[in-house]
Amino acid sequence: MKYDLIIIGGGPAGYLAAERAAAKHMSVLLFEKRNLGGVCLNEGCVPSKALLYSAKIYDYTKHSEQYGVKVTSSSLDQETVIKRKNKVVKTLVTGVKGALKKHNVTVVEKTARIEKKSGEGFVISADNELYTGDRLLICSGSEPIMPPIPGLLEGYQKGFVLTNREILDLTKIPETLVIVGGGVIGLEMASYFNSAGSKVTVVEMLDKIGGPIDDEIAELLRKEYEKKGITFNLGCKVTSFTEKSVIFEKDGKTFETGAEKVLVSIGRKPSTKDLGLENIGVEKDKRGAIITDSMGRTNVAEVYAAGDVNGVSMLAHTAYREAEVCINNITGKKDIMRYSAIPSVIYTNPEVASVGETEATAKQKNMNFESVTLSMKFSGRYVAENEGGNGICKVLRDKSTNRLIGVSLIGNYASELIYGAAMMIETQLTVDDLKELVFPHPTVCEIIREALFAF
Amino acid sequence: MLESNSVQFFVPKMNGGADMATAVIMPRQGNTVESCVVSKWHKKKGDKVNIGDILFTYETDKATFDEEAKIEGVLLETYFEEGDDVPCLFNMCVIGEPGEDISSFTPDGANQVKEETEKPKEEIKEEVKAQTNTLSAQVSGAEDVKISPRAKALAEKTNVDVSYANATGPNGRVIERDIQLLAKEGLKVTPAAKTSYDQTASYNPTGIGGRVTEDDVKRGNFIETGAPVETKAVAATDYTEEKLSNIRKLIAKTMHSSISEMAQLTMNATFDATSIMNFRAMVKANSERLGLANITINDIVIYAVAKTLLAHKDLNAHFNGESIKRFNTVNMGVAIDTPRGLMVPTVFNSDRKSLNDISAEVKDLAGRCKSGNISPDLLTGGTFTITNLGNLGVESFTPVINPPQTAILGVCGLVTRIKEENGQIKPYQAMGLSLTIDHRVVDGAPAARFLKDLCTNLENFEIMLAK
Repeated sequence: MKYDLIIIGGGPAGYLAAERAAAKHMSVLLFEKRNLGGVCLNEGCVPSKALLYSAKIYDYTKHSEQYGVKVTSSSLDQETVIKRKNKVVKTLVTGVKGALKKHNVTVVEKTARIEKKSGEGFVISADNELYTGDRLLICSGSEPIMPPIPGLLEGYQKGFVLTNREILDLTKIPETLVIVGGGVIGLEMASYFNSAGSKVTVVEMLDKIGGPIDDEIAELLRKEYEKKGITFNLGCKVTSFTEKSVIFEKDGKTFETGAEKVLVSIGRKPSTKDLGLENIGVEKDKRGAIITDSMGRTNVAEVYAAGDVNGVSMLAHTAYREAEVCINNITGKKDIMRYSAIPSVIYTNPEVASVGETEATAKQKNMNFESVTLSMKFSGRYVAENEGGNGICKVLRDKSTNRLIGVSLIGNYASELIYGAAMMIETQLTVDDLKELVFPHPTVCEIIREALFAF
Repeated sequence: MLESNSVQFFVPKMNGGADMATAVIMPRQGNTVESCVVSKWHKKKGDKVNIGDILFTYETDKATFDEEAKIEGVLLETYFEEGDDVPCLFNMCVIGEPGEDISSFTPDGANQVKEETEKPKEEIKEEVKAQTNTLSAQVSGAEDVKISPRAKALAEKTNVDVSYANATGPNGRVIERDIQLLAKEGLKVTPAAKTSYDQTASYNPTGIGGRVTEDDVKRGNFIETGAPVETKAVAATDYTEEKLSNIRKLIAKTMHSSISEMAQLTMNATFDATSIMNFRAMVKANSERLGLANITINDIVIYAVAKTLLAHKDLNAHFNGESIKRFNTVNMGVAIDTPRGLMVPTVFNSDRKSLNDISAEVKDLAGRCKSGNISPDLLTGGTFTITNLGNLGVESFTPVINPPQTAILGVCGLVTRIKEENGQIKPYQAMGLSLTIDHRVVDGAPAARFLKDLCTNLENFEIMLAK
C-alpha cells in the first residue's frame, strides 16, 4: 500500500505529526528505530523529571527543620528511584502507542532508510522491506555530541563516561561525578546527583552556566549550587579523559579532577546520518541539520522536517509545534513556525524558566527596550514557601510598541507559570492590556503582574 | 415516575401548521423586474417561522423589500445565499414540517450552488486525499488560489484579498463563506502591531492565528507575491472607500449617458410668486375645514406644469435618437432626495388630477421612496420631470434630463425682487425656474414659449385653476 505520509522518527515531533495527520484522514506510516516517544520520553525530559522529583522530596526531608518539621532520618534509594522512573516512562510510552493505534497510524519499529524517489513516491526501506509514500516528514531527532577528545570514546565504551541515556539508568550513586557541559542537561543532572549524595564537579567551557539564560539568573543559580556543594569550573576546556579522571585547561594551566563517573553533556547534534537523505537530495547545513523554511519544508518538494533534526531549537515543545506546522501546511492550512516565544525551563531546585528575549539578546538585536528586575519576595506565596529564597524575576518591555519581549525568572513553579508569559509575548498584547488581567492570589505567578506595574 | 410524568410534556401537532411543505418564491416586483438580489436572510435553515416573520430582504435596482412568511412551520431549506441574483418566481425556500420531502422544490439554478457546500460524507475522505496532493503541489509551486466563481465575485465586490481567505471548500477551494468571514473579520492584527499598522497596506501575516505581527509591519507592505515593497508615506491619507449601491450605480449610469448623448440646453426664468404664495396661504389656513392636503409650492408647480405641458408636447416626449414619441397625458416624474440617493417616482396622468390629489400622491410616493419599498413600476414611465432645490436656497441650476425624456424643470428658491407698477417701486417674491431641454429635438424658442406660458400660469394661478 502507498501511504499519504511517511514519518521517520517516533519522538515528540514524529508521534504528534502522525496523530495530527491521521486525524485529517491521511494514511500514515511511522518508523521508530529505538523507542516510541523518542529521547524526550525515554531518556530525556520525562525520566529526568521523575528523578528530580525524588531528589526534591529527599531535599525537603533534609531542610524541613526550618519549616518546623523534624525528620529524624531519611535516605534516597536509587534502585527504587530508577524503578519508579521506568514505570513513569512505561506509562507514557504506552499512552503514545495507544494514541497512535487509535488514530490508525501504522507503526514499524525498525530503522528506516530513504532509498529513492520514484514515480510512485518516496521509497523507504526497513529490514529489506520497501514502503512507499507520497510525502515524507523527517523527525529523526538528535544525539549527544561526543567530541574527539582523547580517552572519551574508550571511557564511554568502558562505562566510565556516560551520556544522558546511561546516566538515567544508574542504580548506584557515584561518589564523585564530573559533568562536562553546564547546560540544561548538565545542570539538572548536577542537581540530582548533588542531592543524591555525589560530589559533583561541573566543567564548562563558557564563563557562565545555563547556556542562553539571563546572566544574572545564571549567576544566582551557580551560587545557589555552590552553597549546596557543587564545584563549578567555568571557562575550562577538557583536553583528555583518563580512566578515573578528567583533565582540563584554564588560562593555560592544566587541572585534573578525579571521578567515579563522567557525564558528557556538551550539546546535541541532529541525527541525519544513515537516513539516506542524499538519495533524494535533501539539503543539510554544516552541523548536519536539515535546512527547513518557516513552513517546515526542505529543499525537496513534499519532504518536510520537524524537531531536533532541523537544529533550530532542539526542545520537545518546539518539536510539537513544528510538527503541527508541517501537517497544517501539508493539508492545505497555511501555518508558520515562530520561534520568538518558545519557553525554556531548567528543572533545577530552584527552577529557572524564561521566554523571549534576555537583556543580552535584546541588546544584540538593538531593540529599544527597558527591563524590570523584581525580587521573588514580592510574591506572598514565594515568601511563605521559600525560607531564605533569593529568586528574581526579570521582565523586558519594548518601549516603541509597549509590549513584553522577554521574561526570565528563578524560583520554584517557574516552569508552570512561564507559559503565561509566552502567551503574552506571542499574542503581542501591550503592557496596558496585560495590566487588566486578573492573577490568582496568592501565587508565584503574581510576580509577573508586579513587574508589569513597575513599568 | 419520570417516564409517566414525561407524557405530560408531549406536544401535539400545532393547529394551523402547514399541512405540507410550501415553497416561497422570489416575488416579481413590477413587470419590468426580471430578477432580485437577496440582501439578507432573516431566518436560517431549521428556524421556526411564524406568520408575518420576515424571511428575507431582497432588492431591485431601485428599492428593497421584505418578504414575510405567509404560513408557519420550519424553514426546511433555503436555495440561495445573500448576494445571489435570483430570477423572479424562483423558489427561495421551503416552509413545512421537519422530515417532509422537499426534493421537488429545488430550483434549477440552485443545484450548482449547493454542490459546493454539501457533499455526501463518503466523498469527503477521498477528497481530503486529493486535497493533500493538490495542496502541497500548490505550496511547492503554483501560488494560485483555488476559488469558486461565487466566492470570487464576492471578493471583488467586497474588495478583500483572496489570499488571506482560509479555504474550507472541497479540494481546498475558497468558497463564498470564507470570503464572507474574511470580509467580516478583516485581517487580524496583534495589539502591539496596531500601533504602526497601516489599514491600506497589505502584509504577509506570520503571527498567531494568521495575525499581522509587529515584525510583519516592520517588514512593510507586501504585494501579492510576498515581495517587500517600500511603504509609501502617502498611503496614510484618511478616507473611506465604499462600493456603490445598486441605486447609485444606476444613477451614475443614467446621468452620464444623459449628458454624453444629449445636446442639453438650460434656460432660466423667474416669475412673481405672489399669486401662488397667497393661494398656498389661503389653502393652508383652510386645509382642515376643506379637507385638503398640505399643499406645497412644489405641488402647485407640478400642477401648473402638468396643465401647461400638453400645449408644448415636444417637452412631454421621449426621444430615442430616431423618432420622437409625444404623449397625450403627463406622467410627471418628481425627483425625491432619499438617504439612498435620488429617486424619481411618477405621478401618472397628472394633467387630469386635482391639485389636492397631486399633493397627496406626491407625499405618498416620497414616503415610499424614503422607506425604500416603492414598487419599481412607479419609478418608470415618466414623460417629464420636475426637480426642486428651492428649499435649499438654489437660485438657478442645470437640471440633467432623465432619458429618454426631452426636458426637465428645475424649481429654484424665492428671492425678493422689485418691480415698477404704476410708477411705484414695489418689492415682490420672485421664484426661479431652470428648464433643460434636449436641443436635438426641442429648439430654444419653443422651450422658451413653454417657460413663458408656465410663468404666466403661475403668476395668475387662481385664473388657471378656474380654466
